[in-house]
Amino acid sequence: MSGKVIALADAVARIDDGATIALSGNTFHRSPTAAVHELVRQGKRGLRVVKTAGAYDVDLLAGAGSIDRAAVGYVGFEALFGLAPNYRRAAEEGRLVVEEHACYTVITGLRAAIQGVPFLPVAGMFGSDLIPAREWKTVFDPYSGEELVAIPRLAPDWAIIHVHRADPEGNAQIRGSVFEDLLMANAAERVMVTAEEVVPPEALRAEGAQATVPGFLVDAVVHAPRGAWPCSCEGLYPVDDAYLSAYVEASKDEAAYREFLQAYVLQPAALAGGEPL
Amino acid sequence: MSDHPADLIACSMARLLADGETVFHGVASNLPLVAILLARATHAPGLVYLNIGGAVDARPTRLPKSTVDPALADGAVCRVTLADFFDLSARRRLDTVFLSGAQIDLHGNFNLSVIGPFDRPKVRLPGGAGSALLASTARRTILWRTRHDQRAFVESLDFVSACGNVEWVVTPLAVLKRHEGSLRPESLHPGVTFEALQEATGFELARPEALPTTAPPTDEERKTIEAIDPEGNRYLEFA
Repeated sequence: MSGKVIALADAVARIDDGATIALSGNTFHRSPTAAVHELVRQGKRGLRVVKTAGAYDVDLLAGAGSIDRAAVGYVGFEALFGLAPNYRRAAEEGRLVVEEHACYTVITGLRAAIQGVPFLPVAGMFGSDLIPAREWKTVFDPYSGEELVAIPRLAPDWAIIHVHRADPEGNAQIRGSVFEDLLMANAAERVMVTAEEVVPPEALRAEGAQATVPGFLVDAVVHAPRGAWPCSCEGLYPVDDAYLSAYVEASKDEAAYREFLQAYVLQPAALAGGEPL
Repeated sequence: MSDHPADLIACSMARLLADGETVFHGVASNLPLVAILLARATHAPGLVYLNIGGAVDARPTRLPKSTVDPALADGAVCRVTLADFFDLSARRRLDTVFLSGAQIDLHGNFNLSVIGPFDRPKVRLPGGAGSALLASTARRTILWRTRHDQRAFVESLDFVSACGNVEWVVTPLAVLKRHEGSLRPESLHPGVTFEALQEATGFELARPEALPTTAPPTDEERKTIEAIDPEGNRYLEFA
């Protein structure tokens, strides 16, 4: 199909080393895994990731050495597997700078970018060591004098959003939880949509303006069936616990982890994703 | 047979919820999820359950291991976004939020960020997620912790991820409440003495004159918990 549809490798090749990338979804759900795997395959370096709550996606990028900064509220494997093994190791060994956020400050930073202002104040938060640790400043309400923490603009170079359906112009439909994806798409300089299904525009029009992300924001559309795997895609497939369990197990040992990456991420055959372990 | 601490924690937290209030849980919150559904099935049918997927008043029929899972939107009356719930809290309209901390201090301040220095931690923890904002703006915070020892309940936090309106802390040993800025035990779980609680706590606890035993789950509560969570996801944090 024409329009903005291009191959995954070509879309990911447009992302420069050092870029700030925002990733769709939340923990194990609707991560843009196909694109994340391709970032690793292409050996990207120095990326900075933006996400409220990450899991496999951020951990893998940390383990593969693709990111050296993470602007995140949470990175962990929830109660399934606990701490994110490669993320924590990278941070503890000084290979990854964690720009810790409260999830709401990620949202606020994205909103500042969306609104074209350098910062936005946020309610509450006083007493948290995040304020000095992140060197966040305060501002005073010129009307009442109230002091508020000012969250700087968070403007990703790219937002990578995995969606259920998109048309060739990038009008993209997300079913169920949208999380921060629309904020990311609006805040980012460029947007890549990876879609389970690429459909004619009529399909979204006929059902009554069903797109979540308007195509005018989108630069590249990639057809990526099962593109969130091993994360879930609402209504289509669940979290692949067995794969994630094997990933966490392999992460305990450097050699085993490299072997795992080779087998499931670096091999082009792994592109299809979802071959059950 | 004595109750598993998970059941005591879920049950104690459920009883703290009032009918009709708005209540939110985030990532990795299996016990709050069970507590919310238990409260709604028992004394709080009008509880407004909000979760990280943006689901309003969902009626999940199957509990997933991840508390962000789409299964937790089943039966929802409305889908908004997480940002809407943070906004709700920011304008002081969210009643109750469930949060947890790797370390918790006397004042109910908590740490989910790092052990050791922030810039080069000995242990990089997951991060406070929404807690820095939620704990300070929600009307009240209920903390839970599945371990009660001197590594979890500390004199001094390595890092204050969040602080604010913490009202209750529920652990495998006790239910604690914050009075005038300091936590003190409100009830001890069956078989726990004040001395044992103090021994497991890294800061000095005030001893209230009356210190009742936490009422164990009733048969109805036990049955309801089992029906809500037949696969036992409430035990995951104890694994």
